Amino acid sequence: MLDNLHCLKNKATIEVINRSNGTKAGNHENIIHRNKIHYHRKAESEFFVDNSALAGFTGERILYMAVRELLENALDSCEINHVLPDIDLRLRVLDPENDLWIISCKDNGIGIPSDKLPVAVCSFLTSGKYVEKQQRGLFGVGLKMIAAFSTKDTDHPLRVWSKSIDEPEYYFDLRTDIGTNKPIVLEKRVVKDAEREIEGEFGFKVEAVLRARLSPVTRNKIYDYISQTSVVNPYAVLTFDSDEGSVTFERRTSVMPVPAKEVLPHPADMDLKTLRKAILNHVSQKTTLHGVLCNSFQKMSGEKAREIVVKAALDLRLADKYNEHELIRVVNVCKHTKFQSPNTDHLSPIGEKILTAGMTSEYAVIMNKENNQNTAPQTHLSVRLLKPSLTAYSSRTCVINNRPTVVECGIAYGGDIGSFKLFRFANKIPLLYDEGSDVAKEVISEVEINKMGISKKEVKEQFRNAETRSDRAIDYLPMHIFFHICSTKIPYKTAGKESIAAEGDLKRYMKSCLSDLYRKVSAQIRRELKIKENENKLKLYRHYIPFIVDAISESIKIDVKKLTSAFNLLAEKYIRNEMSSLPERPSENNVTSAEDISTALPTAETHERSKVNSKTISSVRHTRKTKALNTQKIRQSDIQVTLDNFKQTKAKKR
Amino acid sequence: MPTRDKGHQDVIRKIKSIMKTISDDVILKQIMPSFEVPKIGYDNTVWSDDKRMLTIGNKTVLIGPHSAKKIPTFSQYLVMANAIRRLLDEEMESTIRGLYYATLSTVGDEKNKQKFWNSQEDSDNAIKAIELITNVPREEFSVTSKPKGMISGPITLRVGGDLIDCNLGSRATSQLIPTNIRDLEIVDVKADLVMVVEKDTVLNNIRKSGFIQKYNAILLTGSGEPDRATRMMVKTLNEKWKKPVVIFADADPWGLGIALRYKIGSESLSYDSDRLVTPDAKVLGMMFSDIYEYNIPEVARLAATEEDVNRAHDMKKKPWLQDRKWKKELNLFLERKEKCELDAFFKHGFKYLAETYLPNKLREAGVI
Repeated sequence: MLDNLHCLKNKATIEVINRSNGTKAGNHENIIHRNKIHYHRKAESEFFVDNSALAGFTGERILYMAVRELLENALDSCEINHVLPDIDLRLRVLDPENDLWIISCKDNGIGIPSDKLPVAVCSFLTSGKYVEKQQRGLFGVGLKMIAAFSTKDTDHPLRVWSKSIDEPEYYFDLRTDIGTNKPIVLEKRVVKDAEREIEGEFGFKVEAVLRARLSPVTRNKIYDYISQTSVVNPYAVLTFDSDEGSVTFERRTSVMPVPAKEVLPHPADMDLKTLRKAILNHVSQKTTLHGVLCNSFQKMSGEKAREIVVKAALDLRLADKYNEHELIRVVNVCKHTKFQSPNTDHLSPIGEKILTAGMTSEYAVIMNKENNQNTAPQTHLSVRLLKPSLTAYSSRTCVINNRPTVVECGIAYGGDIGSFKLFRFANKIPLLYDEGSDVAKEVISEVEINKMGISKKEVKEQFRNAETRSDRAIDYLPMHIFFHICSTKIPYKTAGKESIAAEGDLKRYMKSCLSDLYRKVSAQIRRELKIKENENKLKLYRHYIPFIVDAISESIKIDVKKLTSAFNLLAEKYIRNEMSSLPERPSENNVTSAEDISTALPTAETHERSKVNSKTISSVRHTRKTKALNTQKIRQSDIQVTLDNFKQTKAKKR
Repeated sequence: MPTRDKGHQDVIRKIKSIMKTISDDVILKQIMPSFEVPKIGYDNTVWSDDKRMLTIGNKTVLIGPHSAKKIPTFSQYLVMANAIRRLLDEEMESTIRGLYYATLSTVGDEKNKQKFWNSQEDSDNAIKAIELITNVPREEFSVTSKPKGMISGPITLRVGGDLIDCNLGSRATSQLIPTNIRDLEIVDVKADLVMVVEKDTVLNNIRKSGFIQKYNAILLTGSGEPDRATRMMVKTLNEKWKKPVVIFADADPWGLGIALRYKIGSESLSYDSDRLVTPDAKVLGMMFSDIYEYNIPEVARLAATEEDVNRAHDMKKKPWLQDRKWKKELNLFLERKEKCELDAFFKHGFKYLAETYLPNKLREAGVI
């Protein structure tokens, strides 16, 4: 970490100031203007504050970015230590007249040692994350941005509580000296037991006051961001407290992803800078170039290293005895040498178990508008758990831009999911903007849905509704598709890091991943579709039978009740036969079905019918009870009365 | 209390027996009810060489609630049958539009509300289906449409209790052909010839010129697409009263189509051709060749549209247009891609059509 710090500290930003019509070339009078150019060095902090857009901190988005940075830091610091995250996020208005907000985030991560803390919080380009492994944050800018903005716009200090291992809990009041990129420590003290903020062995809490505006659109983006984060981090407890209410995203699994390991750079990625840095690291040990190569790069066997030195036509000396011209030959040789594909230890994909846990219990933030008589309409926040009827997962490992990249894709279908939605994640961070230009969108357009064994026409017929107006059949399906790309170098399309470009073979791998999933769920989806079809059909019967009965009973003398119930029974019998001809659910492991699929056929509505049906329904309840005893997987089910005899037949088959 | 119409009673009995069969299927036999209806449309219309007209083929469709798509249709047919029964019970009459309104409704719950009929076309189809199922033409149901056919000439009709002499002498107006043909009777026909034209404007021109008196003719028009009453009137005049029938329509594929409605029938009403079609009617004009023979000036000709051309290509394939004369005409049209309305003769003078063109054509055909 400190090595990196040294390297980066020397970075200076030069600004060229041109006075008036400065260096106007092509002046045919041939007068040389001797304008003075002033060279300034700008502190990193000043640079980032002046160019806050580089870090995404622009007007409307300040609070969104602050939430993002704090949440990502918190998750990272928990995962480093492999503790199940427990994160408390607050965002509240402090002074509405002056647009002041108070934002705070508390986690149970490793915290920051008290001696490093002020620098780590306030000094730009200081980070423990400058290593070759997948992490959410990478640049050491986010938290500093919050600190700098709080210093710039308010007179409130940044308040930090931190407890790292083997240390008591410390409290800090900090501000950033923007001109020098140095922290100003207003207060530092050990927190008394009675005033402790951090309950556990370690943890970190930061509280900042920011001046910002929050539009409803951005507010929704914040909610989306948190709920989507919870989808890929189902092992975390996230509590979000805002003026609109407080919501908690519970922990749905205690499995955590295997933490990413730091790895050596791959030789195909070598350049003069990495090579010199490697040599510098070994300078005290008097190692040869051969040794440096072996120890500093992955997939570099002794033999391979020798081969490279020979190919570069260099004699063996101590590593630091080569000049640049010689070293560049090593780099060039490496570019032309074949190495094994880079390993993926430094990546931390979500994994099937965790993504499935996230998908089978997806949280959606719900805003309930309450109309009080006295006050303006108030929204009240709550969460709803969406349980799909089936999920599936697939992944691919590939090399994009010389970097190993893992593509993960998941599908959640049916159940509580009512409409289509695409979720995009890069290194476990949800991408919320620019969906239209993202490679995932293209992938979904290009993979035909008939891979699921269903036709566009069928889908549009069965899922026709008033809200969806789209040519793409997939938009009608009650399905959520999740794409997660992880790599140490995500091919973002823009500096805003909100959409991913179709770099190299990425698209091809994503397509094969999605096709794979479509195939996996095809039997299930077909079945679901058939169920849906029958559901719609039963609805049709229910809507039209009264017309038929009326027409008949007006024309001839007939007992209306008798005819109605007979017709309803007939319709149900008919549907039941259709259902029993459905294929059984495949027992494929990859497809994780949310316990017993509720076929969710609407309950009988007419009195006559329920009378006739009461017997069958109660017997179904009985079947379900016995089933619940037998099946471990069963969870508390909010299943409505389902298509009775379909289940009975199923139970019989068992 | 007037005695009930026996024909009406038959229809009511037929509808009731259909209802009974369905309720028996449901309650007693516990099977999905259904009925077979002859299919209506181009793919179930066949040309009969014998009858020289379009007749309905033997394809049928099974309508019943067994398939999701047919559930609405099945209900629609029953609702319509019941509405017709009610209409007859109440001894009222109605247009097809009236029946559409009488049965308007919505289907489904609040969340998913739909119209019972998507459009009047659905309800018209249901009426057709009831005609086919009961084997009774819609006129017997007292289901009619708005009259639009017109007649003028030496013919006396009785409509209800009133005698109407269509030979109004004054040359001033024509009589509308009533659509409730159950109440219509032809009392006397003194004419030698029946001439059908496509449009009322042309009919008015001919009437005004004294054509009726000069040639002792009845003039008739369906004002475009003829309704059932007009077609039946033409048929009766030809077959019962033995009057020769000649037809003049515009020289374009559309006009030719209308002329053929009288002569060979149409695809959508092919099930009722026996009552509607006049195979002995002669289509005399306006021929495509007449455009050039009668020197219709270029400004009065119209360019054929793509649709016209496609229609003409279609017509060339039809078995009833296979004689040499028609093939030649259609080829001429396809070659020149020009069409013309009867009104174009007015360019030659307002009396030219009635005093030169029509007599010429009638003489050529040997009708006068």
